[in-house]
Amino acid sequence: MTLGQVHFRWLITLAVACGAIVVFFPFFWMAVTSLKTAPEIQRVPLEIAPDDWLNFANYVEVFKRQPFLRYLLNSSIVASVAAVSSVAVSSLAGFGFAKYRFPGRDVFFLAVVGIMMIPFQSVVVPLYVWMNDLGLLDTYMGIVAPDLVSVFGVFLMRQAIEVIPNDYIDAARIDGCSELRIFFSVILPFVSPAIATLVIIKFMWSWNEFFWPMVVTSSPQMKVVTMGLMSFTNMYFIEYNLLTAAAVISMLPILVVFVVLQRWVVQAVVMSGLKG
Amino acid sequence: MRQWYRIAFPRNYLDRRKRAGFLFVLPALLFFGSVFILPLAQSVMYSFYKIAPGGAREFVGLRLYEKVLTDSTFWAAVGNTLQLLLLSVPTTVVCALAVALGLNRIANLKWRNVWASMYFLPFATSLVAAALIWQWIYEPVYGFLNYALSFFGIPPQKWLQSLAQVRPSIAAVSVWVRIGFDTMIFLAALQSIPEEYYEAARIDGADALQRLRYIILPMLNPQIVMVCILELIFNFKVFDQVYATTQGGPAGASQTIIMLLYDTAFKFFRFGDASVMAVFVFVTLMAVTLLQWRIFRKPVEY
Repeated sequence: MTLGQVHFRWLITLAVACGAIVVFFPFFWMAVTSLKTAPEIQRVPLEIAPDDWLNFANYVEVFKRQPFLRYLLNSSIVASVAAVSSVAVSSLAGFGFAKYRFPGRDVFFLAVVGIMMIPFQSVVVPLYVWMNDLGLLDTYMGIVAPDLVSVFGVFLMRQAIEVIPNDYIDAARIDGCSELRIFFSVILPFVSPAIATLVIIKFMWSWNEFFWPMVVTSSPQMKVVTMGLMSFTNMYFIEYNLLTAAAVISMLPILVVFVVLQRWVVQAVVMSGLKG
Repeated sequence: MRQWYRIAFPRNYLDRRKRAGFLFVLPALLFFGSVFILPLAQSVMYSFYKIAPGGAREFVGLRLYEKVLTDSTFWAAVGNTLQLLLLSVPTTVVCALAVALGLNRIANLKWRNVWASMYFLPFATSLVAAALIWQWIYEPVYGFLNYALSFFGIPPQKWLQSLAQVRPSIAAVSVWVRIGFDTMIFLAALQSIPEEYYEAARIDGADALQRLRYIILPMLNPQIVMVCILELIFNFKVFDQVYATTQGGPAGASQTIIMLLYDTAFKFFRFGDASVMAVFVFVTLMAVTLLQWRIFRKPVEY
């Protein structure tokens, strides 16, 4: 390796690191701002470090100002239901698509792929009318309804189940297992990593959902956490120290899970993305 | 038809097995049918009706299309959306590609993972939170960005409050949010390029630029096309970032199609007009996706 190549390698590392720091900076800035008092964030010229690194008053204030605990609870309920139902329906469908031959299977699968091309915003008005007719506006069921299954999940599970050797399934059949029993005793144990990944990703997506919850909810106690963040904004004056504290609270659970399980998430995204 | 009959009334073991397979996929099919296919058909139907707030409908043919498609507000929103798209899509794809190439060259796996996770992190945040944090960074008086720029002698800018800068500012938020996702896909593709290809290039005396031009880019072609399309779709539907920060302002400079659709449907409750926009969005994205298939289907073999 010549000296030039060594320098080049260092230059790349440096560039990548600088970019990463730039991308990471908003998180840092959010965290730092959440530790400052209102007068502190209005200092000119600006100071990066907060006066007191352990000033968590904003976090307390967030819960006092808004029913933020309720928002967190709402989001948790909605995201959990979405994750669980998504796993249940997607793994069944993935099994059906991967391991069975029935008339119209390929057409149905293509149709499911086609669903991905329908932007949610194109169906939001009729869905709203439905929810209104069914009396589901402003309910958990209404918020979670369009989120119960995603095409991504069906893809992911089909992909994961496809690689299971058919011999295992046939062996179970010879032993007298019913098809449903095969699903529970043979398939599910095999794909538990895929299930875990789907749970995480689906939870994350539902947690971060904003458009539909805003359409269906109207009362303050049904707001989800993304809408709760919006309640800290105001046309003329935004208390950014509170807003950033609220943002930290809203992100922290997801970010922690994401960082810990990043390898799985990335794998799933890449796998489904490449095929989708 | 006969096949279906045999699934409904299975005569032997194989029929029952087929039925089991069909029943496994049925819940998903029912769900997608009722949450996407049926409402989409309804959207198309609504776009031909004038719907009074009470629910009374009147068939008006293409009148709503005429009304929306000749409305300058609508085309302004389309224009803004396209501008946002043109600003953020190429930037995201090029940056993500550069980052992936860089990450791929870092030999130390531990550090590579550290840097990679920093790029991936925004992927896990909500668009609303992302936009609000950036709004704070963009803040004209107390924001960090103007503070940082002051060291380079650049006077304070108004960013989100400026007619000229609002779109690039919002586009930057989209880039920030999406760069991790695209990087993931590129990085995985880069790592699947066989080592022999580089070996062969080295023997032929190719330099880094030639390797990029003749090996890496052609090998990544499918991923690049796919990511471009995904970004196009994502950015065409831009809503959360705008709603959370500017609400379409200043003076409508960041009003996007979906913002307009949302306002039309859920602020003014003009479902017919909103449905025309919904159909427009669907048809446009469909056309883009079909275009993708044409490019994508071209076999890429090296």
